[in-house]
Amino acid sequence: MIPMIDWLIFAVLLLMVGAYGVLTAKNGIIVLMSIEIMLNSANISLVAFSAYSSELHGYNDLMGQVIALASITVAAAEVAVGLAILLVLYKRYGTIDVDKMNILRW
Amino acid sequence: MWIDGAWLIPVFPLIAFLIISLVPKKWLIYEGGGPYIIGLSTASFIISILVIIDVLNGHTLTGSASPSISWIVAGNVEIRFGIWVDQLTAVMLLVVSLVGTLVVIYSVGYMHAEGERKRRYYAEIALFISVMFGLVLASNYILLFIFWELVGLCSYLLIGFWKEKPSAASAAKRAFIVTRVGDIMLMSSLIILLQSVGSLDFVALFRNDSLATMSPEMATLAMVLLFGGAIGKSAQFPLHEWLPDAMEGPTTVSALIHAATMVKAGVYLVARSFPMLVQAPDSLAVIAVIGGITALIAASNALVMNDIKRVLAYSTISQLGYMMLALGAGGLIIVAFLHEGAHEGIGAGYSSGMFHLMNHAFFKALLFLAAGSVIHGIGTQDLRQMGGLGKVMKVTSITMLLGSLSIAGIPPFSGFWSKDEVLATTFHAYENAAAYNDVFLLLWIMGVATAFMTAFYMFRMWFMAFSGTQRSEGHVHESPRVMTWPLIILASLAVGSGFAMFIGSGFFSFMSESIASIGSNVVVEAVDPVEQLVEIFSSPLTYASLIVSVIGLLTAYMIYYKGKWSVANLSKGIAGRMQRLLANRYYISWFYDAFAYNIVYGMSLVADIFDRYVIDGAINGIAWLSRKTGEILRRGQTGYVQTYVAVILLGACLLILFLVLFGGGR
Repeated sequence: MIPMIDWLIFAVLLLMVGAYGVLTAKNGIIVLMSIEIMLNSANISLVAFSAYSSELHGYNDLMGQVIALASITVAAAEVAVGLAILLVLYKRYGTIDVDKMNILRW
Repeated sequence: MWIDGAWLIPVFPLIAFLIISLVPKKWLIYEGGGPYIIGLSTASFIISILVIIDVLNGHTLTGSASPSISWIVAGNVEIRFGIWVDQLTAVMLLVVSLVGTLVVIYSVGYMHAEGERKRRYYAEIALFISVMFGLVLASNYILLFIFWELVGLCSYLLIGFWKEKPSAASAAKRAFIVTRVGDIMLMSSLIILLQSVGSLDFVALFRNDSLATMSPEMATLAMVLLFGGAIGKSAQFPLHEWLPDAMEGPTTVSALIHAATMVKAGVYLVARSFPMLVQAPDSLAVIAVIGGITALIAASNALVMNDIKRVLAYSTISQLGYMMLALGAGGLIIVAFLHEGAHEGIGAGYSSGMFHLMNHAFFKALLFLAAGSVIHGIGTQDLRQMGGLGKVMKVTSITMLLGSLSIAGIPPFSGFWSKDEVLATTFHAYENAAAYNDVFLLLWIMGVATAFMTAFYMFRMWFMAFSGTQRSEGHVHESPRVMTWPLIILASLAVGSGFAMFIGSGFFSFMSESIASIGSNVVVEAVDPVEQLVEIFSSPLTYASLIVSVIGLLTAYMIYYKGKWSVANLSKGIAGRMQRLLANRYYISWFYDAFAYNIVYGMSLVADIFDRYVIDGAINGIAWLSRKTGEILRRGQTGYVQTYVAVILLGACLLILFLVLFGGGR
């Protein structure tokens, strides 16, 4: 069995990849995708904790898996909203480059 | 018992005020709402009469019988809302309700041509009458002070009724500001009383030892400051100059202010505070001296005025001075005899002051309304343009003659009886008020001199207006009956109200009951009318004041009717210089103006600079600081979503780092 710590390291690496994407990407869709990656890293750590729960405190705790499922649902809805926003931005400015979206400044 | 319904008296005119000022114009069918106030003030008059009958039968609402409800409670100070009805209140109710009602009836004729503005006029008159009722019914000094201020407000509004005239607007402001000087003194007195007695209820303050907790100096100061309020309100020297200027208002308003409301409030305050004043005798001497000086100065000013209303205004000030003189002298007589057992009628001074107030209310209302009738008929206030009006305005001239005879103190008109008693009281004080003997001899001489001048200027005015031939062009007409009937009613009162001295047990015995709490020997015994008459006419003092009055009258007759002595001759030399001094009102106004322009204006400039650079500087500095800070901090808001994300992640990392380093582990 893969040890618990490996899962967590994997989740952290995934989070870093996502964060790097969010901070550096110019394209709005790539930013959205990076956010999804970050969300999935969280899901992985949740499922891992759930799977190792009997080892950690003696009984099988399914809460982590339940929350992971709920998180995936929310992520789907969030992507729908995010894409809709990007669509509107494109219609209005003819671009989805986040570097151009700076009208909320001083 | 009608006396329990005394609280209704101020409510009726208040309802009239609300109706006239709030109901839409189209529903006020007639004369801008005049009939409402006539009807409702007549209702107040009827209830006043019923209350007065109850008081005459010996029922009063004073002391613990005075009904009141708790109103404001703060710490251990409780302010109550209640009414206080005694003989003094009864006299004031009679004066205010009768004169007030007659004035509003007269107004229907006098204000007929005012159009839309009549509504404002009637609303303000209704409020004026209402708050004056409230003032005389109040059962503590806070309530009295509130109504006192409202009376001042109403007189401000009414003096400035023709607000488009700059002189009227400034006269209104002057009346308001000058009386405010007195009001501040009154307020400081009330604060001292509240501080040391702990209550401003009449019940607590009118006990015989109410001021015993204060040092005598403090008590005197409090009482002199209390009188300071009356100096402003009743136009006593040196704050008397606002009243002649107040002639800029409609004549009906002057009649109301001079006869029933406003200036009588000051005399009422002094009379009401008698149980306290006798505990600080020095303040009574101040009252008498100020009263005597005012009487003389104002009477001398009235000698040379050419505006019919200004003559009457100065005569009011002078008569108010008489009332104060009587109250001050009467109070000192009470102090002298209070602890010496039975002494006949030591409350007569107090009663004569109030007697003069009542008689003055009737003849002064009459004189003002008659003057208003003259102004209505000829269209000018200048005596030099009148003359010969007696032939056309018969009712006006005869009623005004009766009023003039009354104020001049010719028997048997009402002014004679009360003025005689005022002077007798002053002389009595000369004989008895130990520490102030010489002062009162001087005051008595001043009073007699005033009586001479009063007779002179009143008949100068009457002869200039009604005898001879008209000195200006223009058609003159007698006023309508709605104006002459109030004159006739007031004239019969001006002739007859003096006989109140002889009816039943007599006015003095009735009046002095209201200060019976000071000591039982202040109550004047009922005297047989014949005995009283003999007493009055066997005293040489009576003849002194009577003879000077007649001489004054005859002098006016010789100069202004017969033309024996030329007026032009009197304008030369020392007499002319005197005349200029009087016509310029002793330069008192000039002095106030100079004081205001130089000293007060200078102080205001300093305050202005302080305000502009220190207060405003601090406020503006704070604003500048926030703006600059904002300008620096706004640079952080780049508008790039990735900057924000980076900051959030950095924050999260720092948080985790903090937890790992200082979290303390599990």
